Amino acid sequence: MTDTGSGHDIRHHFDELLAEIRQGAVAMGSLVLENTRRLTDALLENDLDRARKVVAADDEVDALYISLEQGVFEVIARQQPVASDLRFLVAITRLLYEIERSGDLVVNAAKGLLMRDGYEIPQAIHGTMARTSALVADLFGKSIDVLADLDGSAAQWLDRLDDEIDDLVGELYTMIGRSSDDLGFDVGMELSRVTRYLERIADHAVNIGEHVAFIVTGSFPGHSSATTDEG
Amino acid sequence: MSKIAATPQVESAVRRRIAQPPARASERLFQLALMAGIAIALIFLVTLLIQVAVRGIPGLSLSFLTDLPSSDPGKAGVGPALVGTLWMLAGVTLVAFPLGVATAVYLEEYARDTRLTRLIRTNIQNLAGVPSIVYGLLGLAFFVRFLGAFTGGRSIIAGALTLSLLVLPVIVIASVEALRAVPNSMRDASYGLGATRWETTRRQVLPAALPGIFTGVILSLSRAIGETAPLITIGALTFVNFFPASPTDSFTVLPIQAFNWISQPQAEFHDISASAIVVLLVLLLSMNTIAILLRRRFEKRW
Amino acid sequence: MNDVNVSLGGLAGYRSGPTAGPEIDEAVFTIEDLSFWYGGFRALRDITMRIPARTITALIGPSGCGKSTFLRTLNRMNDLIPGVSLSGTVRYHDLDLYGDEVDPVEVRHRIGMVFQKPNPFPKTVYENVAYGPRIHRMASGKGELDDIVEQSLRRAALWDEVFDKLDQSALALSGGQQQRLCIARAIAVGPDVILMDEPASALDPIATLRIEELMYELKETYTIVIVTHNMQQAARVSELTAFFTVDVTEDSQRTGVLVEYDETGRIFTRPSQQRTEDYVSGRFG
Repeated sequence: MTDTGSGHDIRHHFDELLAEIRQGAVAMGSLVLENTRRLTDALLENDLDRARKVVAADDEVDALYISLEQGVFEVIARQQPVASDLRFLVAITRLLYEIERSGDLVVNAAKGLLMRDGYEIPQAIHGTMARTSALVADLFGKSIDVLADLDGSAAQWLDRLDDEIDDLVGELYTMIGRSSDDLGFDVGMELSRVTRYLERIADHAVNIGEHVAFIVTGSFPGHSSATTDEG
Repeated sequence: MSKIAATPQVESAVRRRIAQPPARASERLFQLALMAGIAIALIFLVTLLIQVAVRGIPGLSLSFLTDLPSSDPGKAGVGPALVGTLWMLAGVTLVAFPLGVATAVYLEEYARDTRLTRLIRTNIQNLAGVPSIVYGLLGLAFFVRFLGAFTGGRSIIAGALTLSLLVLPVIVIASVEALRAVPNSMRDASYGLGATRWETTRRQVLPAALPGIFTGVILSLSRAIGETAPLITIGALTFVNFFPASPTDSFTVLPIQAFNWISQPQAEFHDISASAIVVLLVLLLSMNTIAILLRRRFEKRW
Repeated sequence: MNDVNVSLGGLAGYRSGPTAGPEIDEAVFTIEDLSFWYGGFRALRDITMRIPARTITALIGPSGCGKSTFLRTLNRMNDLIPGVSLSGTVRYHDLDLYGDEVDPVEVRHRIGMVFQKPNPFPKTVYENVAYGPRIHRMASGKGELDDIVEQSLRRAALWDEVFDKLDQSALALSGGQQQRLCIARAIAVGPDVILMDEPASALDPIATLRIEELMYELKETYTIVIVTHNMQQAARVSELTAFFTVDVTEDSQRTGVLVEYDETGRIFTRPSQQRTEDYVSGRFG
């Protein structure tokens, strides 16, 4: 039994709830990260089994999303959070959305592979695609770390990593355009879509960094005039 | 916005006493009237005490306290009367105190609010106001005559019982008030822990009410010590030349002895009457002091 | 998951299905069609609910809705008021609390109570806690009694603050400490249930939060039912919430009724009754 004589830990229960939510969000992010890497392998190796696993794994992500949303809603209703607690809870709902959308994008790419019974990525594009998807997964993983650590200063360097990805994405579009005759119209379109999914996932990762910055500082990074204070 | 040089307030700030407004005439008049009232009462009391003290103190001595009364004022003492008074005090404490407190406990903690209990409560108030001679008559008829075989007739027991009846209403009323003053939250707390009514009363309510109950005891003993009429009625003697040895013996008390002496023609007897009164007052004062000290002891702890 | 222990620790999982009140496995109290009268005045009408073990159940509602009356029927404290009567049943586990053979004194041994205004006895801290065990003869010697007192004070999160003041007056403690002392006193007799009648309403906010933290710990061992007029407290602290309100009949009789009884999360996020919604959102007093 704890001998709580000190006065500093009087919302222990509430703190536990907040920690649970954060851990839940991190767990959800980890699942999506894992699924992203799984998708990368499926695409690069044209592995349909893996693609099916990707689709199946998203169910767990969705379930976690729903229960975390519900949980956040209930904590707000019941615990009367203010200040940093309130910022955390409001930002988490947005964070959860970013993660969930990322998960959905990964599934879209997998479904695209499955619907066509697989397709080969031509040699010319393969390397760049591999590199791009590795970087995207890496960036996403870093954003989840930022969430786990509540690192308020990470938004900026996450953004810089994204710039590198954006360059690669530009290259990919060019390559796909050039190889369009070899690929065929349908696969070409699909690869464009996949490229776009990757870019979007990277954007979500950057947004995660911004939401975390908001939690920590109360201001929206990149919009220095729009803080939570008036004037 | 005009620029006014800021005056250095901090160091030179003058601290001023907040002035009381001048008192209105009506207020002062009222105050004076109250003080006059107290002064008058005190003047009478102090004059009386001084008179008694001046007349009585010279006659005090150890032998005065222990000697028997005699027809020679120089040799007379209050011995038996003092002993009789002490017997009365002991008797009243032993009888009226437990009886009175038990009655109060029953009325406050146990009795339901029926017509009967309401009747009892009202009449206890009335009984407190009944003239003491009525109690004397009651004591004569009941304790002296009817129960004569047990009490020994006009005896100490009869006297103590009569006085107990007299002060019983006072003790009951004071105890009832003391019990009522104990907040119900204390009883609730005790019941909430699974205590019975008796456990609650004995362990929580009575101890908390003790200061108030002691007040009642002080008041009643102070009254009892000075009662003359009922004791004369039940047959306390006016001339006693022996020390009462048992509760069934006859007796006298200090007020009666003082009354006896003041009725004598000789002036010396009037002097020793004053001495007897001084003894009575000293006894009264020490009793009150003891009771107040006891009460403080129970009160001060919490 | 069907029972009250919800998934993800303290967070309620998403529930589908009809809102028929909470589903309860182990019920400590089973109340059926309880109505209660003070003389001719009907204070409660047809209350039916089940209270589960080792949870915190909050009773909320506007003034005069009978929630305190209801609480006091659970340990027969209303018996102390002359002229009361009731109909319906109150079962404590399998026992009919108002059966003829039941001794109310023993009931209160098993079902303890903490009151609104802290009411320690005007005795020492030690004597306050030792009072209950003494009258129930729970210790065979001073050593055992000391142990009971210490354990109770530890469980009430008060030991660290009073271990060196056991023989000082309980009235010298602060309000929050006094209330925790009252909790320790109630725990000392080893009850199964602790009823709390607005236990923090006389305390400042910090002391209130400490009492709430204490309740989280206590519910591991005891079943707790708490009446509170502070909705936010009910929201923070309880797992189940019962909302009572005053029904005014045609002949202007005001009676307390149970409007809704469900998991607290549900009551404060999507109550199924409009009256509940109006009350918890502060639109109706």
